Amino acid sequence: MYARWVLTALLVWPAVAAVAILIAPPRWAKHLGFVASLIEFAIAVPLWWTFVPSGGMQFVCDAPWIQVPLFGTGAPWSIHYTVGVDGISLFMVLLTTLLVPLSVLGSYSYITTRERAYYALLLVLTSGMIGVFVALDLFLFYVMWEVMLIPMYFIIGVWGGDSRLYAAIKFFIYTMFGSLLMLVAILALVYLVGQRTGIFSFDYFHLMRNLGDLGPLAFWLFAAFFLAFAIKVPMFPFHTWLPDAHVEAPTAGSVILAGILLKMGTYGFLRFAVPFFPAVALAPPVETAIVALSLVGILYGGLVAMVQPDFKKLIAYSSVAHLGFVMLGIWALTLQSVQGALLVMINHGISTGALFFLVGMIYERRHSRLIAAYGGIARVVPLFAAILTFVSLSSIGLPGTNGFVGEFLVLVGAFRTHPVAAGIAATGVIVAAAYLLWALQRVIFNPLDKPENEKLPDLTPRELAVLLPLVACIVWIGVYPKPILDRMEPAARQFIESVRPPGPTATAIAP
Amino acid sequence: MILDLSSSRDLLLALLPELVLTAWSLVLLLLIAWRHRTAADLRFAGCVTLAALASTAGAVWWLWWHAARAAPTPLAAMIAVDDFRFVTDWLFLGAAALTVLLSFNYLEREQLLIPEYHALIVFATLGMMLMGGGDDLIVVFLGLELLSVSVYVLAGINRKSAAGAEAAFKYFLLGAFASGFLLYGIALVYGATGTTGLRAIAAQVGAGAGGGTMLAIGLALLLIGFGFKVAAVPFHMWVPDVYDGSPTPVTAYMASGVKAAAFAALFRVLGEAFSAVAAWHEIVWWLAVATMVVGNLIALAQRAVKRMLAYSSVAHAGYLLVAVAAGPGPGSAAFLFYLVAYTLMTFGAFALLAAKGRQGERDVLIDDLAGLATRHPWLAFALAVCMLSLLGFPGTAGFIGKWYILAAATSAGQGGLAAALVLTSVISAGYYLPVIMAMYMKPEPSAEAHVGMRLGRLGYAVVTVCVAGLLFFGVRPNRLLDLARTGGVAGPPAPEAIPAAPAVSAAHAPTAR
Repeated sequence: MYARWVLTALLVWPAVAAVAILIAPPRWAKHLGFVASLIEFAIAVPLWWTFVPSGGMQFVCDAPWIQVPLFGTGAPWSIHYTVGVDGISLFMVLLTTLLVPLSVLGSYSYITTRERAYYALLLVLTSGMIGVFVALDLFLFYVMWEVMLIPMYFIIGVWGGDSRLYAAIKFFIYTMFGSLLMLVAILALVYLVGQRTGIFSFDYFHLMRNLGDLGPLAFWLFAAFFLAFAIKVPMFPFHTWLPDAHVEAPTAGSVILAGILLKMGTYGFLRFAVPFFPAVALAPPVETAIVALSLVGILYGGLVAMVQPDFKKLIAYSSVAHLGFVMLGIWALTLQSVQGALLVMINHGISTGALFFLVGMIYERRHSRLIAAYGGIARVVPLFAAILTFVSLSSIGLPGTNGFVGEFLVLVGAFRTHPVAAGIAATGVIVAAAYLLWALQRVIFNPLDKPENEKLPDLTPRELAVLLPLVACIVWIGVYPKPILDRMEPAARQFIESVRPPGPTATAIAP
Repeated sequence: MILDLSSSRDLLLALLPELVLTAWSLVLLLLIAWRHRTAADLRFAGCVTLAALASTAGAVWWLWWHAARAAPTPLAAMIAVDDFRFVTDWLFLGAAALTVLLSFNYLEREQLLIPEYHALIVFATLGMMLMGGGDDLIVVFLGLELLSVSVYVLAGINRKSAAGAEAAFKYFLLGAFASGFLLYGIALVYGATGTTGLRAIAAQVGAGAGGGTMLAIGLALLLIGFGFKVAAVPFHMWVPDVYDGSPTPVTAYMASGVKAAAFAALFRVLGEAFSAVAAWHEIVWWLAVATMVVGNLIALAQRAVKRMLAYSSVAHAGYLLVAVAAGPGPGSAAFLFYLVAYTLMTFGAFALLAAKGRQGERDVLIDDLAGLATRHPWLAFALAVCMLSLLGFPGTAGFIGKWYILAAATSAGQGGLAAALVLTSVISAGYYLPVIMAMYMKPEPSAEAHVGMRLGRLGYAVVTVCVAGLLFFGVRPNRLLDLARTGGVAGPPAPEAIPAAPAVSAAHAPTAR
């Protein structure tokens, strides 16, 4: 019962709750939103125990959705509602359901206008994000991928900062540009596989099993998938939408954007782009280019972050660097590096999410995000300063925090296949230390020389309630990551095997 | 039910919907002659029109229910009897009904107490039905002329408006020009094949006769003529001014119904008569690309909502041309579904525009919608749904329609066209989104900005039907896709109905149902 319906419940519940919020009186909106997202989390938590690490795809639910008889092909094109999770998507689902209630709670005092619409959109966004991570039908995946654009677009555009309109439309158009090409690639894929097998299905496993050798077309199909995911990640030359969107979005928007939306890109690589086209993805020129872009992302993101006067923009650029580690881990293709990449995805959601919360909290007090506006506030707001320091250290990757485990695994794994790249990436950790510690110094240490900062109130209990779960996760993953690694190991292993079979040839996939 | 079109009884049966509508139009004209002074008369004429449209739809349904098909023996039949005709007829009748519903309020507000307006809509719809069902180039041409002449008048029905006069005049001049092309094309095709019957032409072409320059030139001229009517680039010059100057309900009618009729005729002519001629594929390919690129780029620069929608309709003509390029079989099914979606979104958007506009509705800028969401949340929501559907966003019928066209194009091996379609769709986000942005993300300029925005009960009904349809078909398109598929064959009747027509079946591979 639970196994069959849990994912559907996770998809449907937020949408239902969103409607309830729209109907209910405005003053209830935030409380309803918080309760609804807590229930969502409660639905998801048993997944942790019921999930069988070696069980492959689980909690599968499958129902026919659209059957379109097309001409000339004879057989119908069948679209199913198929959902399921494995060791890759499980953590994305859990991370999503964890971050949403915190985001709702973190928005209590930040959002003061049109609250009903805001919390309803946040919940619809949750549905879309869960949908992306659990969809096992490419049509459903595409629909969810696009559907989650709209709530985010509104959250940035309505509740965002001064140049929110520009940021919102840039975010929208960048994402749509990539995803529409992916749609054409999906259609072409379904058609090609359908011609060969006589079954025109968008089912993930059907496509995986019957892809075979696509010839030169594979490159173009991979390119379309790559563009969609690389924009979302974002990889180096496609990242320009990210700083704008992050800076303009309200706090919760930034948290969700960094914590979950960016992971959709890397998740897409892990689930679709690389397993579908391993021959292209691992062909030497493509592989070199992608590893090089990841390294550029790590270093460029870090260096640009260092010179940002705006704290929020600094964190935004640090995301580019962190996601570079994920990409490197995926393409290094060793068990450690892939597990590390998955862990960095989780860690980045937790640490960067917490950082965005912290910046949002201080912004609410002081109405400035400029690093130069602060200085020495550790004496005024000690609790805030302590948590900021702790979270920054985890983001840098200090041993004992989650950041260390993830990046260490990526580097260890990558060192076996790409020693030079791993060496360069390691310097990225140093850059990260530089920009975050320097920012810390200028914000909370240094002399307290601005009179406006002398009366800042410290964190409220509500804000602590937002931050402490994240701090707990940081410590837990930093000290004892084994339960997580155990759960993701079979999936990571299977990913590597599907991409690079244990046999001598790397191309044979069709049974 | 097999109808032998050489017997007059069966021919009358086959023409039943057209006859019903003609009879109603005569009744309507008579009634108007007696009652044409007050607003009540106008409403009365509108109600009669709705009854006419409904009973005609019933007649179409009757033929469809009995699975009426034409016997193959007279090869040069004047009218086709197939599902494509029935489905397009419903589409035209539906578009006309929405136009009439939209017009009640609009005409009274603009003081256009002209009941002939409704009669003209009936005539135009009759022309459309002849275009969608004509199995002979001459019938198609007659339908086109009946349609065009009625719409020329409708465009300029507001005699007090200089813009309306300009629109009517421009439309008339360029439309006459296009008709000339079309007629000359028909003449050349006749010269090459000795017939104007579509299936007879196909038989001639299949037999190898007339495959020459004359036929090619004739076909090119036909394409130019249709290109004008569907507003394909480079024959789109008339669109912005005509759409802009016409009364808003008429604009919606032109954007959906008139364009649908021209496309239906195009599908039938290309699919039935010229499917063996390869020359048109490349022409349509280029037309589609040019139309999508130019339409979307120019729309991007528009400030006024109505002009933006006019150019967006050019862009949508481009998307439909992709369906044409995918081949008449899959293309026409995609076309039928897309047109249902497009009709719904166009009428939704224009209905809201008509409500916003006061006299000088030409000047409703995108920025004038600022803050609409706080004042009229449901109207803003409806317009947002229409915009997202026009953009082809998942969850709306516009997405399923676009997806169907893409699927048809990819399965026809037109991957390049599919890529062009999605890339130009991205451009279109640049002009659909600002509408949503203005409504939701910009503050109301003044407290009176949206005073007097009244839709009326019928307007609300139209908008609700459109939005509900868009969302419903966006999630459960199954039945409609099925209908579009069965109606999609713009070819000879089903294979079992052709026992002895070797020439025809040689020209067309029988399509599996």
